[in-house]
Amino acid sequence: MQTEVLGNQIQGLNIVLGALQAATGGICKSCIGLEGAKTKVGKIAKKLGMDLQAAAICCEKTKADLQSRIDSLSKAAEELKVAEECACQKTAGDCKLGEPCFVNAAIDLMKLVQ
Amino acid sequence: MVKARCGRILGEDIYIEEGDTTTLYFVNQLRAYQVMLAALEALDQDVCHDGCSLPTTVNKVIKRLSKLKNDLEVSNVVAEKKESLLSKIDNFLAEANRLPQDTSQTCRKSAGECIIGSDCFATGALNLINVVTEPKAQKI
Repeated sequence: MQTEVLGNQIQGLNIVLGALQAATGGICKSCIGLEGAKTKVGKIAKKLGMDLQAAAICCEKTKADLQSRIDSLSKAAEELKVAEECACQKTAGDCKLGEPCFVNAAIDLMKLVQ
Repeated sequence: MVKARCGRILGEDIYIEEGDTTTLYFVNQLRAYQVMLAALEALDQDVCHDGCSLPTTVNKVIKRLSKLKNDLEVSNVVAEKKESLLSKIDNFLAEANRLPQDTSQTCRKSAGECIIGSDCFATGALNLINVVTEPKAQKI
């Protein structure tokens, strides 16, 4: 069961990171929302690593595979390109898509994992 | 008229005149597709590649992008801006067309491979378009 839960979380994080990478190609690159999301996904990846270490998974290969996937997600999170100086792009007047936010919606994709 | 930045799509900063909600509508839609397609590409690396929800979503995206293209073509967006946005839609359509579109495959939940619960990543990615709430869809 623990393997399944971890696998699902890894699946979710992979999709979140794909969306966030695309956001770095938009004005979100200079957005405080993306800066926060980068920290958040880094923490999620770190927690997944800790959960994996604590998990009772007897198959060493399965554990190593999951660890390698977590490592690559962790690296992808670290490599998200965020500007040095960020400000909310709605406040800056550049983001005019309404009240919601792409970055928050991307992070919320993790909630699909029940 | 003062021009203000309203997005960056495929590496290009987009500027529009203040109050030009028609152009803003298309820019915001494309900003959403940029993020959504990246999420779908990530899904394609997963078990979703062999399922039916991803292709169904991809087909919807292709249909919606095609409609967006038609709407942009007949809109009153200035010619130069229209050309630039049309080429971006073509880029996104090409990206979407590289994703799976065969809906005859079995749902990965039914196949017992997708065990995330009752929700679906492909549907979740498609819903990223709902983040765009302004301006409202243009009546064309």
